[in-house]
Amino acid sequence: MAVNRFLLDKVLRGLRPVIILLAVLSITAVVLNWLRLEAELQTYRQEAVDNIHWNVSQLELDLVRFGSEAEILQLKPDETLGELRKRFDLFYSRAQSILKGNMFGKLNLGEAIVPMNARLEYYLAQTTPLVDSPDVDLRAALPQIEADAILMREDLRAMSVKLVENYALMADMRRSVVATMVQRAAWAAWVVILALATLSLLVLWLNRQAVRTADQTLRLSSRLAATVETSLDAIIVTDAKGRVLDFNNAAAANFGYTPQEAVGADLATLIIPPTPCGSYFDLMARATLDGSAQEANSGRFQMIGMRKGGEEFPIELAIASHNTSEGVIFIAFLRDISDRVQAEDALVQARDEAMAAEKSKTNFMAVMSHEMRTPLNGVMAALEIASGMAVNDKQQRFLDLAQSSARQLLRHANDVLDISKVEAGKLYLSEEQFDMTALTEDLVAGLQQVAAQKGTEFVVKPLGPLPRLVGDYFRISQIIQNFLTNALKFTENGQITIEIEAQRRNDPLLEVEVRVIDTGIGIAESDQVRIFEDFVMLDQSLVRTSGGTGLGLAIARRLAQAMGGEVGVESELGAGSCFWMRLPLAIASTPTPSEAPKLQPVQAINPMDVLVVEDNATNRIVLEEMLQQMGHRVTMATEGRQGMELARAHPFDVILMDISMPMMDGLTATAMIRAQGLSMGSRIVAVTAHSLPADLERFQKAGMDGCLTKPISLGNLAKSLLGDALDAPPPQVQAQVLSPDRIEDLREGLGAAGLARMIARFRADFPAFRARLLAACAPDRLSDLMPICHEGAGVCAMIGAPALQQLYAKGEELCRNGQEAKAAEIIMAQVQPLWDQTEAAILTLDLPS
Amino acid sequence: MPRFLNIAFLLFALGLSTALSTTFAHADTFLPPKGAHILSVTGQITAKNAPTGLVLDLAQMEALPQHRFTTSTIWTEGQTTFQGVLLKDLIAAVGASGKMIEMTALNDYIIELPLSDAKDDGPLLAYLMDGKTMSLRDKGPIWMVFPYDQNPDYRTEETYSRSIWQLLQIDFVE
Repeated sequence: MAVNRFLLDKVLRGLRPVIILLAVLSITAVVLNWLRLEAELQTYRQEAVDNIHWNVSQLELDLVRFGSEAEILQLKPDETLGELRKRFDLFYSRAQSILKGNMFGKLNLGEAIVPMNARLEYYLAQTTPLVDSPDVDLRAALPQIEADAILMREDLRAMSVKLVENYALMADMRRSVVATMVQRAAWAAWVVILALATLSLLVLWLNRQAVRTADQTLRLSSRLAATVETSLDAIIVTDAKGRVLDFNNAAAANFGYTPQEAVGADLATLIIPPTPCGSYFDLMARATLDGSAQEANSGRFQMIGMRKGGEEFPIELAIASHNTSEGVIFIAFLRDISDRVQAEDALVQARDEAMAAEKSKTNFMAVMSHEMRTPLNGVMAALEIASGMAVNDKQQRFLDLAQSSARQLLRHANDVLDISKVEAGKLYLSEEQFDMTALTEDLVAGLQQVAAQKGTEFVVKPLGPLPRLVGDYFRISQIIQNFLTNALKFTENGQITIEIEAQRRNDPLLEVEVRVIDTGIGIAESDQVRIFEDFVMLDQSLVRTSGGTGLGLAIARRLAQAMGGEVGVESELGAGSCFWMRLPLAIASTPTPSEAPKLQPVQAINPMDVLVVEDNATNRIVLEEMLQQMGHRVTMATEGRQGMELARAHPFDVILMDISMPMMDGLTATAMIRAQGLSMGSRIVAVTAHSLPADLERFQKAGMDGCLTKPISLGNLAKSLLGDALDAPPPQVQAQVLSPDRIEDLREGLGAAGLARMIARFRADFPAFRARLLAACAPDRLSDLMPICHEGAGVCAMIGAPALQQLYAKGEELCRNGQEAKAAEIIMAQVQPLWDQTEAAILTLDLPS
Repeated sequence: MPRFLNIAFLLFALGLSTALSTTFAHADTFLPPKGAHILSVTGQITAKNAPTGLVLDLAQMEALPQHRFTTSTIWTEGQTTFQGVLLKDLIAAVGASGKMIEMTALNDYIIELPLSDAKDDGPLLAYLMDGKTMSLRDKGPIWMVFPYDQNPDYRTEETYSRSIWQLLQIDFVE
């Protein structure tokens, strides 16, 4: 409809000139025709002639009367001839009118009259002399006159009839000409009327259109005005110079000016406080105008506005420009955002406070956990010792309770510390090569005993080949361990399947997924997300029986995230659960050992009494955790002498002895334990980071039965407990350049500044040390090499630079075996590259300068 | 009404303006004609010199105000100069009243015209054609003509029919 109207409108507009032209042409035609007609009518009127019929018949009558007078006079010879002469004169006079006058000529009857005129002239020429002759002659000619008159009359009649016929014909012609003209005029008039009618319709229609458009415009503008007036935002319209054209109610309410005051004023000076760098509004408007600020037409800006009283308040401003017929105008939408700004400020403050509180809480937790561990170790050691000294069952029972509680407390502290570390971003991930299947099997081995008690079977199922991987062995173990212990807790007489799968991703990394699938009680869907949150325990009764903190899965989640992966669960209540871990891991650069993954289940071990002598807190905790999970009773000692005393006081099944400890080292303590006490015959296993074949020899000489090489896995731990660990080749672990854990320990112990000082000292000392080292590599100085290597290994161990430490240790080892030349060769080849790597790694540390 | 105006004039406005006097002048006094009668005026007139009304000879016609014009006519050849007395002047001279004028010709031709048609430019009661008196054969002795060439309004059939010749008598009727 709208389209039709539009089309019609277009067509009509197009037709308008045509119609006007037609009208003009028609009017011209009418006028011209009228002029012609008028001229014709004028001719008709003006050139009208004496009535031709009358004249002709009158001429005939005059002739008849003259003829009859002549006839009468013949009968009355006494009558005078005056009447006869008068009759002739009258006839003569009328004949002259016809002969001389031009009334016939004017009627286009000039030719028709010629024979009559000739006849008349002939008659007059014949008769006039007779009439003008003396009475006697005239009287004698009377018969002649009468006869001539009769003849003339007959001719006259015939000719006048003819004349009248011609005249009628002529008149008809003239009438038809006039009629045609009148008709033409009428047609033209009709066309004019039609054109005028069409034009009138057109005008009428256009008028209606105009009225409708005007009406629409009026309605639109009134609607717009209403919209603007009822807007809650201030709406101000200005011209290109910033003069206010329009100022709505909201603007009046916001800024305190009445529209009458505002209109015509300069907007910037009206509502914007003066600024040192010119009016912000001007800048905005200019930017809007030249289009350089695209956002000017779309964005919102916050700035300071000013009320009439000078009070300043925050406003949000949006400016749009519009081209009108009177130039560019600006439409500004302004909103008082005092409340919002206030609310935002309050919110930011609340957030900052909350974050500060959270941070201090995290810090507090971390400090607390850390600080708790040392005294806890003391408590546990004391309890252990006291346990050995218990004189009756009752004391023993209480001491056992106290020991178990202390262990639980330590686990809690460790869990909290882990979370704190991750939260504080202080979790440093190491990069070690490891075999995921072996790792899993080791973990499973540690749990075999507990599983056996619950009638549950483990199945490790690698899906497809899996290369050796690079990652944080310990943290990955922690996650899987958590899944496994969890599964074990909730599965009775069932099966726990561990599926390991690797998928190639787009990058060089592999996506490794480990799924721990149990046939246990399962988890309701509503709880499945919740269980990864902190301190969530679905079954509160388990707190007592299993001694969990409810942090295990939360830690697992955080660790996985820290490693760029994720954990999750799929479960069905009553049918079992599947906990999965997905990690992006690099493939180890060293070739995969060709050995096939071991699938045979690890033998369950009977619970044993285990003493762990370890000065390193982390190692201690790891060992303790692993042993406990295997179901062993664990006693801890933090240094050689304490370990020796504990061993002498209590018959342990296995003693795990750290080799390098301050005060009394592992070898000394071992020798002393072997010398006397209740653990003389116990199995003593060396725990060491460096396990070269020569070391094993030394350990054996000192009376050790086996060797457990760090990093410790549940698998090699279990093996070492049973007695075959010493024969197992030590895993080829490529040492890290820097040990994040060690660095972190130092940071915690010395503070960031202390750590920085220490590292700086380490770097500063190196050139001198290197000089001494390389000097000792000279063939004649080789005897000095071993102590220098020993010194270097110690320093590197302290600072946490395992790669260098390993190099020095190897040098020391070779020297000890009399291979000084080979040691020198290795050191000269490797010390500088390894130092460069170490220094590069040091530079990446986050240290205060 | 003209009678009333005449009386009013006699009573109150004797010898006022000449313009008024031409319109409302009382009739001239006419003596009985000495020559041959060429025109007889009858009906409602004040000036009389015979029992029937007023009879005029050529000399008396010549004594009245004279006018002349030259024109062509449809009854004559070429341009003709007519001279005589305007009907208007005659009306004034004879003190005619009434509304209509009836004119009769020697050949019994009769026309009627209203008094108001007597205008300043015609018709003219012509007795001289090209300076000569007119015989019966020349439509004389009196021929009432109009200035056909000068005024197109006179080139109509009605005017032609009113152009009475061989005029004998003028009768002023109510």
